[in-house]
Amino acid sequence: MEFLQLGKEHLTTVMDLEQKLFPDDAWSSASMAAELDASHTYYLGIFDTELIGYAGLSTPDGSFSSDIQTIGIAADKRGQGLGRKLMQHLIEKAGQLGSEQLMLEVRADNQAAIALYLDLGFVQIDLRKRYYQPAGVDALIMRLAIRQPIVLGIESTCDETGVGIVQGNRLLANALHSSMDEHSKYGGVVPEVAARAHLEAIRPTLEKALAEAKLSMTDIDAIAVANGPGLAGALMVGIGAAKGLALAHNKPLYAVNHLVGHVGADVLERGAVELPTIALLVSGGHTSLLLVRQLLNDVELLGETIDDAAGEAFDKVARVLGLPYPGGPQIDKLAAVGTANIRFPRGLTLPKDMEKHRYDFSFSGLKTAVARHVEKAQDAGEEFSKADVAASFREAVVDVLLTKAINACKDFGVNRLLLGGGVVANARLREEAQKRCDANGIELRIPRFQLCTDNGAMIAALGSQLVMAGREPSGMGFGSESTLEVTQVQTP
Amino acid sequence: MLLAIDTSAGTSTAVFDGEKLLGFVEHDDPFGHAENIGNAIAEVMANAGITASEVTAVAIGRGPAPYTGLRVGMAAGASFAMALGIPLHSIMNLDAVALSHGQAKILVSSDAKRKELFVATYDQGKRVFGPAVLKPEELGKFGGFAQVEGKCNAELVGRYALWAQASGIDLSDSSALYLRSPDVAPSAGKRVTG
Repeated sequence: MEFLQLGKEHLTTVMDLEQKLFPDDAWSSASMAAELDASHTYYLGIFDTELIGYAGLSTPDGSFSSDIQTIGIAADKRGQGLGRKLMQHLIEKAGQLGSEQLMLEVRADNQAAIALYLDLGFVQIDLRKRYYQPAGVDALIMRLAIRQPIVLGIESTCDETGVGIVQGNRLLANALHSSMDEHSKYGGVVPEVAARAHLEAIRPTLEKALAEAKLSMTDIDAIAVANGPGLAGALMVGIGAAKGLALAHNKPLYAVNHLVGHVGADVLERGAVELPTIALLVSGGHTSLLLVRQLLNDVELLGETIDDAAGEAFDKVARVLGLPYPGGPQIDKLAAVGTANIRFPRGLTLPKDMEKHRYDFSFSGLKTAVARHVEKAQDAGEEFSKADVAASFREAVVDVLLTKAINACKDFGVNRLLLGGGVVANARLREEAQKRCDANGIELRIPRFQLCTDNGAMIAALGSQLVMAGREPSGMGFGSESTLEVTQVQTP
Repeated sequence: MLLAIDTSAGTSTAVFDGEKLLGFVEHDDPFGHAENIGNAIAEVMANAGITASEVTAVAIGRGPAPYTGLRVGMAAGASFAMALGIPLHSIMNLDAVALSHGQAKILVSSDAKRKELFVATYDQGKRVFGPAVLKPEELGKFGGFAQVEGKCNAELVGRYALWAQASGIDLSDSSALYLRSPDVAPSAGKRVTG
């Protein structure tokens, strides 16, 4: 006997049994085909050479609730506990999908099924008179509460101290302390300044997150911490804090990948990350293009910057233009009143580069080109429009980012693009991304800004996915991994 | 029950029941603080035969010491104390070493990297100079002070915390004791054309 997930290829087999089981009110073949094929459903069959039972679960996107759509066991195979086994599988699956409750309806005259559901922990919450037609039988509406794990996540990879708390896929708190202002006089993130700020901020940020979630540490089921990639000294503060917390209440600890966390943030927006997806992560520290087939098992780095990160380029160009740090918002503001009338270079887009660096980025040459342009004008005593320079620079960055991201979508036949990282704050990037995705039939996902920038909630969310999937916790021996590969979603 | 944590040199932990040392663990690796801190805390509690819920206070070394490693123990101690809602005592590492030498007239120094030393001097159990960062050749001016190696550990941190509490000394400042500013100067920005 074997349990197998059912797909549309099983339609005929399933319909044969469906018609035997429910002669009065069997689903139509079209409805069943749609159910088996839908991305939000999960159908499981039991085979004993042929199909002898099946059950289906539905979990709409963004919902924290699943429904048992149907369940049936061949007449001559009943009384062996097969229905119970199917239900147990679906309850487990609903939990893994982040559902906080599982609903079903059952005929009031089906005593065996009602007894099973009660035994599995379902309670009756409603009665619908004459729900099943034509027989006119009442339906009991039953509900099973599923308690999702509460996970606290710590982020300290760069200049943001973040502590987030999630329950399953639900965001409970996202507390943040940024040391950005302390870096402004240096024109960029200084690792030692960042590490010092993390140590000062970690305790107040933990307390803020717990207060926001109205929880105490004893309510937390697991701790997650980003152990890379990032600044070593900064990461080590978060790791030390996470280990202390985990040991104080003997909680399991998960060391998770910061970049994959950016992708995982989308579960907090709609209950799941729709996969596969291309992810473009753009910040002051990263410019990475990922192909995510499965969040926990299959993340591939397609390309990344070979010199400056995009956010770093914004900071450097802002300085050339005499604008304060951080450069992104300043350039965005100035560019809004300028015209992109200067053609600055698009790094790694020449045919020879596209062979070797199809999905890689380079912003160092662009920054230099902008500086040359400005210096030349200044040396000649010519008037020039800073706004036009800002707009032209921004256009070059946005163009190259999106050209490569859309290329990746097309090359891999993936019709989804997820944006993450602080540079997503750039209005022009979001606008142009929408335009190009629409033109290419690609679905664009941009989590809300607080979940795009570095934050603890995305680390908690990824940790929660690991807990729900039944992964073993990390050991106590992991350290900071400045150059952690995206393929390593969890460090053991 | 006091849990002491110190990552000023290696990674070490200690558990005290009153004045009595129930357990001590030391990982000597001067770089693996993030890797070792969790095991050091878990091991010392196991050695002492206690669980985390029995700990009533935490003591941490707050430097001066190489900061990257120091912060790991401080962060772990601070979060452990917060999670259990118990007091956190923060100890100046050179003071902790000096206490173990009683009333002697001593100069305590530890490696500050970059060919410099963290230094403090003590007489009659009181700090009379420091903490400060000095070059080795500057120690000559402290004639009459016996030089003492300032390598600290969790046992010394714990003993100092117990003594200081009994003596009414305030240990509530849980910030790291930085004696250097971060190694950066704001950049004016360079021209790219000649």
